[in-house]
Parts: sequence; C-alpha cells; structure tokens
Amino acid sequence: MFDLAYQTIVAIIGGTAILASFGVILCASPIYSALYLISNMICLALLFLLYNAEFIAAVQIIVYAGAVMILFLFIIALLGAKKEEKTSSWEKPAAFTFIPVLFGELLMALTMDEGRPVQGRFTEEFIANVGSAQAVGLELFSRHLIPFELASILLLAATVGVICLAKFPAKVGGRRVK
Amino acid sequence: MGSEFVLFVSAAIFCIGATGFIIRRNPLIMFMSVELMLNSVNFLLVGYSKFTNTLDGQIFALLIMVVAAAEVVVGLAIILTIFRTRRDLDVDHINVLKG
Repeated sequence: MFDLAYQTIVAIIGGTAILASFGVILCASPIYSALYLISNMICLALLFLLYNAEFIAAVQIIVYAGAVMILFLFIIALLGAKKEEKTSSWEKPAAFTFIPVLFGELLMALTMDEGRPVQGRFTEEFIANVGSAQAVGLELFSRHLIPFELASILLLAATVGVICLAKFPAKVGGRRVK
Repeated sequence: MGSEFVLFVSAAIFCIGATGFIIRRNPLIMFMSVELMLNSVNFLLVGYSKFTNTLDGQIFALLIMVVAAAEVVVGLAIILTIFRTRRDLDVDHINVLKG
C-alpha cells in the first residue's frame, strides 16, 4: 500500500517536471520560461527527496532554484523581455528529426538495464542512520577530495572572468562609452 | 518501475532541453535549455546512486551544480556585454566576434 502510494507520487512529480520543461521551451517570453524552469527544478528537488538525497535536494533548492534563477530573473529584468521574431529556418526540421533519434537512442538504455553489478555500502538504512549530509560529506572529503578542490579553482576562475567581463566598458564604434 | 522511470524522465527532459536549445533564438532561453539538460543528468545520477547504494552519483551531481553555477554566471556576463554593445539579443544576428 505504501509502496503504491510512493510510486504514484513519484510518477506524478516526474510528469509535472516533464510538463514544466515543455513550458520552458514553448513560452514566448523569457520571464515565463524562467518561472517554468523554477517549477521544474522544484519538482526535481522533490524527486531527490523521494530518492533519499536530502542534502542534494536542499542544495538544488538553494543554489539552482534560488541563486541561479534569481540571477536569470535579474538579467531578464535588465535586458527587457522582448519576444523573438518568427522566422523560418532550417533549424526546426533539423531539430525535429534529430531529437526523436536521440530520444530513441536514450530509451534503448532501458532495454539494457537488468543486472546491477555495483552495490555500495550506502544503503537506505545507513543513510538514515548518519544523515544524508554527513554521508555525502564523508564521501566527498575522503574519496573525492581532488574534484572538490578543482571545483573551488573553477569557481575562482569564473569569478575572475566575470570581473574582467564586467569591469571594462563596452566599445561602440571604436571609442569607449562610459 | 524504478530505474526505468528515472531513465525515461531524464531522457525526456534532456531531449526537451536539446530541442529548446536548437529551436529558440533568445540566448536567455537557450541558456535555460542548457540548465534543463544539466538538471536531467543530475536526476539520473541521483536516482542511480539510490539504486546502486553508492553516493558517487550524488557527489557528481553536486559538482555538476558547481560547474553549472560558474557557467551561468560567465554566460550571462557575456550576454550582457553583447547586449551593451549591440542592443540586440537574437543569436541569428550575432555574426561577428569583434565587438
């Protein structure tokens, strides 16, 4: 009974995530796209919660649905939400032939999923005992320390790059504008 | 239902994001489509880290979030710089690299 309810909730949230992602690409105005993207991210965070990844769910809400999307909304507010003009081009037919092929190829992975040779020690009970954040921290700071340090260097590089892009004023017609 | 559901949902969201990246011309919406694709991969990694009882998928998802945050910041700064020089956001009209 509990299992059936769990599966139903997971299926409903997954369907909502897919619908919200359709909204992202079909809305004419970037503001609505951003709002649909926020709802998609919240749906995925709920799915993370249902798959015993509480820490990742919290990070998803804070970093993605919070910080990144606020940045997007600021930029949209700054640039103005102008609708794009409709022009006919060869991209659309190309997309609608390429994407179903890609989707079919990805679904072929469904037929290959039977044996699961990898079985780690982080079972549901273990994570419930120590807590999701502590389990992730144990793993992150022991076996995955070098990727963690590289990520910090990447963030530093991104910061420097953004300062370089933002500091120097844009040139219009050869002279710098204030 | 289990790993098949995770695979299906993440494949669907990834393909929707790829479609959006190809058919839209507003660079902001193209960026949001890239975010969709990154998010779908995150979901796949987290789902499989549950099914295999490991945490590597969750760590990988965390690092993908870091990379995505850095990418979004730099990309939006580039879009802003292009807009300040050209006053135009359609990616079809941007055909020279030199500002």
